Amino acid sequence: MHADATIDEPAVATIDPAMEMTGIGKRFPGVLALENVGLTLEPGKVHALMGENGAGKSTLIKILAGVYQKDAGAIRIGGVETDLRSPRDALRQGIKVVFQEIALISEFTVAENIFIEEYPVNGVGSISWKTIRRDAAALFERIGFNVDPAAKVGDLPVSQQQMVEIARALAHEARIVVMDEPTSSLTPNEVALLFGVIRRLASLGIAVVYVSHKLDEIFEIADTVTVLRDGRRISTKPVGEHTHDSLIQDMIGRRIENLFPRSRGVARDDVVVKVEGLSTDSKLKDVSFEARAGEVLGFFGLMGAGRTELAKAIVGYDPIKTGRITIAGQPLSPHNTRTGVSLGIGLLSEDRKTEGLMLELPVLQNASLASLEQFARAGFVDEKREKSAVQAFVDRFRIKTPGLGQQIKNLSGGNQQKVLLARWLMRGLKVIVVDEPTRGIDVGAKSEIFALIDQLAAQGLAVIMMTSEMPELLGLSDRIAVMAEGRITATMSRDDATQEKILNAAIA
Amino acid sequence: MPQSLSLSAAAGPKRPSEWLRALFRRNEIALLLSLVALIVFFSLASDSFLTTRNITNVLGQASLAMVAGIGVGVLVISGEIDVSIGSLAGAVGIPLVVIMNMTGSLELGIAGALLLALCVGVVNGFLAAYIGINSLIVTLGSMFVIRGAVYLYTGQKAIPDDLMLESFYQIGNGRLFGAISYPALVAIVLLSAFIYLMRHRPFGRKLYAVGGNPEVARLAGYDVKRVKFIAFVICSLLAGISGILLSSRLGSAVHVAGLGFEFQVVAAVVLGGVSLAGGIGSLFGVALGVLILSFLANGLGMLNIATEWQLVTTGLIIIAAVAFDELKRRAK
Repeated sequence: MHADATIDEPAVATIDPAMEMTGIGKRFPGVLALENVGLTLEPGKVHALMGENGAGKSTLIKILAGVYQKDAGAIRIGGVETDLRSPRDALRQGIKVVFQEIALISEFTVAENIFIEEYPVNGVGSISWKTIRRDAAALFERIGFNVDPAAKVGDLPVSQQQMVEIARALAHEARIVVMDEPTSSLTPNEVALLFGVIRRLASLGIAVVYVSHKLDEIFEIADTVTVLRDGRRISTKPVGEHTHDSLIQDMIGRRIENLFPRSRGVARDDVVVKVEGLSTDSKLKDVSFEARAGEVLGFFGLMGAGRTELAKAIVGYDPIKTGRITIAGQPLSPHNTRTGVSLGIGLLSEDRKTEGLMLELPVLQNASLASLEQFARAGFVDEKREKSAVQAFVDRFRIKTPGLGQQIKNLSGGNQQKVLLARWLMRGLKVIVVDEPTRGIDVGAKSEIFALIDQLAAQGLAVIMMTSEMPELLGLSDRIAVMAEGRITATMSRDDATQEKILNAAIA
Repeated sequence: MPQSLSLSAAAGPKRPSEWLRALFRRNEIALLLSLVALIVFFSLASDSFLTTRNITNVLGQASLAMVAGIGVGVLVISGEIDVSIGSLAGAVGIPLVVIMNMTGSLELGIAGALLLALCVGVVNGFLAAYIGINSLIVTLGSMFVIRGAVYLYTGQKAIPDDLMLESFYQIGNGRLFGAISYPALVAIVLLSAFIYLMRHRPFGRKLYAVGGNPEVARLAGYDVKRVKFIAFVICSLLAGISGILLSSRLGSAVHVAGLGFEFQVVAAVVLGGVSLAGGIGSLFGVALGVLILSFLANGLGMLNIATEWQLVTTGLIIIAAVAFDELKRRAK
């Protein structure tokens, strides 16, 4: 029941298959996330799930975890058709999911977090804290993770939190273990440990689903690979039948070049953004760079490298400790977004839903938010001018919406992103910082966002782009800066850049 | 690189030695010191403060706020709030006294009072947890509805305890072995039981988890709505118990009983270090918050400080305490 029982004995006898999903469909407002997708998991096998962002991997996993409910199709577990109506249902079926976003209670200790799904209790129903401490320590020791069970989770770095999440999936009996990009913030040593654990799980007859877009990991750990693209299943094959190229071909389905239209010429010489010796309490250490009018400066880094922190610091959103930021020759002082916006720098946040959109409000108000003064007459917003200005952007960016009055939550991710871009451009910016501009946007809409970014640079804006996606970085940037642990570890021009160079600098 | 971290935990139950250290790091010690300082100060400043009679009196009053405060504490930790408890504490006196007058039975009266509390908790909990209406709005509404209903029923007059039952008098005013008052006893028993619940029962930990991060709690298989619903019911039942004791002390069902009580209790809960955002705080802290506010009100009265200034002082202290807490959290 507790840690002792899990890794040492098989959780289930070998029934095949462990789980079978057929014809799964899922629709969100404006997006068909999954269409007729099948997935069969065999006990004791590691099944990799691959695809670009927006391909439908996360949606499929969330259906398996009971977080989302399928609109169509069937799920059979151990041969029995099952409805997974809530995470609790999924847990009862022995489906353990390690989510990409940390799903731990930060006020609780590590040990308690391991057991929150099912607290061990004594005869009178009191929680046995002794068992929790002992079993957590034993579990960590057995899988070789070096985390203090008594530490408060909120005090730990992200990589350790991720190990706690992985460990939690193993604390109770499991039939299926799903890992959604578990290595995104782990070090190579930790990844090696994780792979040891996965092999052990498989040897015990547990079906493992491994989601990643790191090809090397897939070839190392997976038995079978299913590739999704645009919400459809493209292929399911033994990993041995794949090459790097064939996997990429399945994932992308078209040549990379087509994704990145390029209309702009050479960047101009005038430096619009100058950052010198920037440090923050949170993360950044001595960051310096320049960005010129008409160029896209791409920042790459692994999770936790400090990209988002940098984005938020240079627009005045997050406080800085030391350093100087100059926008078009003027210092960003006082350091706040009000000054930032008046100097002409704006941020397209990575977190559209909480830091960008007002979900319940219509397209109109979302777009005009930053420029209300422009439409004001004697202190009142002139709605006619506001509407015509927003309509101009809707036409120019080809934003698909039934009308300006449509609530923005009903638009697709790509169109939401365009509205946010419009918000800043209406304001007349010199610099736009875009943080993960295509996160959660389906592939078709991605190339439209890329085209927009390219146009912006062509019109003379300096674009600073934070991304964790290699193709995006290489396809769109004029220059590339790589970050690791809050520092810039390398800067290179587009022509000199290679994936290897970039990754080496990112891991450093 | 992986490195072993020897962070001694700041939260969650653990070994006794660490428990003590954790206590220091949290608010409880600061609160305890403030309480002691307050008592010392008033003892020096006023001769009549540190007398058995006065201290018993304060503790008796504090008991009522403590009982209700436990319930509000539990609910706020789960991420919700209830401001209808003052109206409810006043309202339960009506079924209590009316049924007693009809049947001559204190037990039936108490049963009626608790039934009313249960109904209010179920309605509040259903609207807030299951329908998803903001709990401040829901309970603000029920605060007015209950008070209005009380005025309608009583015609804005108190309903006296016609039978003058001794047992009814005793529950609010009597003492066990002549030493400890029954309300204090009820408060201590409930406090101990709920501290145990919050620290050592899975349900108590679920309350923290649901308040700390509802999404994570859902992923861990918790029925978040149900947990919150139960917290509402607990809160109303404890407010009901508090109201029964209050009614006994008043010797009748008084239509204005419990006016403003909800804000005293919420203030004590917040002063005790419970975060209104949910997931953080302890019932021990709540108890200290209640005691501090009770001794403060009593002591200021003893010093003949005008009620107006008592209000101003109390308000400033609450804001200062929470501001201090926030700054401390930010410094971390």
